[in-house]
Amino acid sequence: MAHDIRDLADEEVMQLVQAGDPRAFELLYDRHGGAAFSLAYRMVGRQVPAEDVVQEAFLSIWRSRLRYDQTRGSVRTWVLGIVHNRGIDALRRSTVHDRRRETLDGVEERYEARERTDVEVARREEARSVRGALDTLPVEQRKTIELAYFGGYTHSQIAKLLDEPIGTVKGRMRLGLEKMRRELVGGMA
Amino acid sequence: MSDHTRYQDDVGAYLLGSLSELERQAFERHLRGCAECQEELARLRPAADALPASVEQFQPPARLKASLMELVEREAEAEQQAAARRRPRLRAARPAVRRRFLRPAYVAAGLLVALAIGVTVTQFGGDDTRTVAATVDNAMPRAGGSLRITGDNATLRLHDMPDLRGARVYQVWLQHGDRMVPARTFEVGRSGAGRVELPDVRDADGVYVTREPRGGAQVPSEDPIVSVPL
Repeated sequence: MAHDIRDLADEEVMQLVQAGDPRAFELLYDRHGGAAFSLAYRMVGRQVPAEDVVQEAFLSIWRSRLRYDQTRGSVRTWVLGIVHNRGIDALRRSTVHDRRRETLDGVEERYEARERTDVEVARREEARSVRGALDTLPVEQRKTIELAYFGGYTHSQIAKLLDEPIGTVKGRMRLGLEKMRRELVGGMA
Repeated sequence: MSDHTRYQDDVGAYLLGSLSELERQAFERHLRGCAECQEELARLRPAADALPASVEQFQPPARLKASLMELVEREAEAEQQAAARRRPRLRAARPAVRRRFLRPAYVAAGLLVALAIGVTVTQFGGDDTRTVAATVDNAMPRAGGSLRITGDNATLRLHDMPDLRGARVYQVWLQHGDRMVPARTFEVGRSGAGRVELPDVRDADGVYVTREPRGGAQVPSEDPIVSVPL
């Protein structure tokens, strides 16, 4: 009876990745590549740069695989954190700050992500919950958080964009996250 | 203005990736010594970590996986070849360490275990699968485990192993005659449970585990704490 690594939890798969197993790495990509690509696309707004961000991020994950420490969070959070950092790098090294989202080009190649039904249901529920938490924020807090996290703007750039003092911008970030945290905790209770 | 007062407003910006590189470095230096900021960071982190879940989900194009896996497989193969090239030199450089595995007392213990295998081996299904009990060091009285062998491959499962947390990891070794060939490293976490997939064990004379520095070793630095003679 052959053992199927697809039955393993992420943390167990990650142990195999750390041991240098490309098959386990492929499984890691299959599980989180969709979320990674979706985050990268949300950040850079175009398909090819989003693919570059994901490729760079996953190569970095492979090359720094021994640094993963499961006591500091889930594999998914770690993976998406690396994708986010790469997305910020891509946005900040871009000299053309044309961050408009693609509207037509490449649409044919995009499909909604599909996963195992139980995982898909849990993820959709999580998405609903997080969007709900974001929707409860005052518009200026939400805008500040989105410009920072998805737009890759520094707090001082946001202060200029919104014509607000830096302290106000930082305060909105902290207060917005605090309110989101309370909403998310409340949603899970 | 105290150091903490100066940095406390940076927690949100840090979590959102909104500090400049220099500001981020300065905040991380402050964070190492500030319990209040550490606590605030841990409290707000789940909110920032949840943000990717809010975006519309798309499937990446197949070409992305193809090009990524081509690079990763090439690098994995190069790593294996480099490890194989290093192995004979390292073994030759540290013969004393290698001999520790073959001390008469240890070999005798191995033989005793081998004798016990007749009792502990369980056959499952066809002739191609068998499970061999592992023996563990007396210093870990609750730990135990087994090696399940299917064809050329095996799965080593261990339980109640101490969580090494920190610089060291567990490393598996395959015995081939008088050679100990390094295999995978693994950690057990707080659960104490570990599972390692071992390809190509058909010709191995035994499977052993030692504790080694993170990243693994090329020669074992201690006598094995888990033994599965085959």
